[in-house]
Amino acid sequence: MAEVSRDEYMAVAASREIRDSDTAFIGTGLPMVAAYLAKATHAPRVNLVFESGIIDPRPVDLATGVGDYRLAHGSTKIAGTFYALSLLQQGKVDIGFLGTAEIDAYGNLNSTVIGPYHRPKVRLPGSGGANDIASMAKRFVVIARLDRKRFVEKVQYLTTPGFLTGPGAREAAGLPGAGPVRVISDRAILGFGPDSKRMRIERLYPGETLAAVQEHCAFPIEASPSLEAEPEPDAHLLRLLREVIDPKGVYVGRGER
Amino acid sequence: MAATPSKLVSLVEAAQAVASGASLTAGGFAHSHQPLAFTRELIRQGRSRLTLMSVAECWVAEFLAAAGMLEKVYFSNFMFEGYGRCQRFSKAVEAGAVAVEDHSHFGMVSRLMAAGLGLPFMPMKAMAGTDILAISGFEPPDRKARRMQSPFGHEVVTAVSPLRPDVAVIHAARADRLGNVQLFGTTSVIEEQARAAGTVIVTVEEIVDTDIIRRQPEMTLLPALMVDMVVHLPYGAHPTGVYGYYDHDSAHLADYYAASRTEPDTAVWLDRWAHGLPDHFDYLDALGMTRLLQLRVDPALGYLREASHG
Repeated sequence: MAEVSRDEYMAVAASREIRDSDTAFIGTGLPMVAAYLAKATHAPRVNLVFESGIIDPRPVDLATGVGDYRLAHGSTKIAGTFYALSLLQQGKVDIGFLGTAEIDAYGNLNSTVIGPYHRPKVRLPGSGGANDIASMAKRFVVIARLDRKRFVEKVQYLTTPGFLTGPGAREAAGLPGAGPVRVISDRAILGFGPDSKRMRIERLYPGETLAAVQEHCAFPIEASPSLEAEPEPDAHLLRLLREVIDPKGVYVGRGER
Repeated sequence: MAATPSKLVSLVEAAQAVASGASLTAGGFAHSHQPLAFTRELIRQGRSRLTLMSVAECWVAEFLAAAGMLEKVYFSNFMFEGYGRCQRFSKAVEAGAVAVEDHSHFGMVSRLMAAGLGLPFMPMKAMAGTDILAISGFEPPDRKARRMQSPFGHEVVTAVSPLRPDVAVIHAARADRLGNVQLFGTTSVIEEQARAAGTVIVTVEEIVDTDIIRRQPEMTLLPALMVDMVVHLPYGAHPTGVYGYYDHDSAHLADYYAASRTEPDTAVWLDRWAHGLPDHFDYLDALGMTRLLQLRVDPALGYLREASHG
């Protein structure tokens, strides 16, 4: 079997975050693949909700996005965007997945601007449902490749709340969700200190080191006391990813390492 | 039989309801059911200083920005799934030509919902603690949202103010002449947009008899009392798609996306596909019957099996 790519490590790690019977709020890309992988393996009863209003799909073909009709086919309900998002506020959503242009040590995300807000150097797409998921899902997971331009000391615009300024800040702001639990990167799986709420390294992929992770992260990041090595994914999981869920490698790149 | 009060109008007449300086909201999500034939007509007629109140109608925003018709945008997210950022919209914001006011999706929908329910505000729990509320775009921060304690306890919520667009433009599957509107598949924010707006214009793939609507009333998204004008525009969402009818035209979207990298190429593209064609049926002729038929979906799946990924 071909070597395991970074994307494949990320998809497998993300899928493990989903527990059976969770209601999961899913976006386009790796989260979609991770959710299908979870549903095909350890979490057959996971309920998938998409911000386009699609609930519990049974797609025959991999969708190109959350609004894609491939996703509408075989779903148990098609609603509007308000309905889907209101499930977050009501407390029905256990887990959500987010990507980001920038992330800081407290898991705050920027998907709005690079540069000043009024005359940005780069105007990014904006929050969409990301702020809603991070504010109101019971927990959320960030999927982001390690890079000093992405893992920054301070986000240039705080679009989406992690732990804001640190312990107690989410509660003071009145945010109902517990905040970020994991950051799935391309070198390591990161988490947050239970007291400090700062990001730390929990699991290293084979061949990776703490120094390499720090080199690609602009804020100081330490290892968790329970640091572990991430094993290579099971052949069964790789076969599902490569042959069933994303056979064309649309979202999960192959053999790049 | 008494004459029915038909709301059927021409595309030219419907577009005239949007004046320069007006505020507009449009249906659609990702590459689905965006009212783009209407948008092209607006571009042909020419408008300026439009305000958008938007959730996910990225293609409408992109084309209006490309045509230089936008002044202000309240919104939550514009991006082209599978392609990337909306390039002309983003450039216009970066150049300071378009002012923006950011929200989360739920924040935008809640503001439209407040207007649609006739309420002075809507309480909600997202956006707190972030720059979405801390950094003002063009709207004074205390007119957008305020923290508020529940009148029934100590819980703190964010109260957002209503947004009332002058006009909502929606593309749907079918309607009767009275304006009873049905749409299959995802319905994005259409119900909230129609309730919030002063005037509601609906463009549809098919005009059907009211008896057809009455056979499946559970599929009716907007009853006639919510709708002011109906325009018959088959393929009116092209190059986005309509569930059960046709898929998005990924080759056409890719052509636009390539052109939108530069201003001159975008102008050439707009000349060819908007200014250069007198009306929507000339647009369909320019696309050609073969291409239009190739986009028709598999009726059992509701989508086109062969569509490529962006």
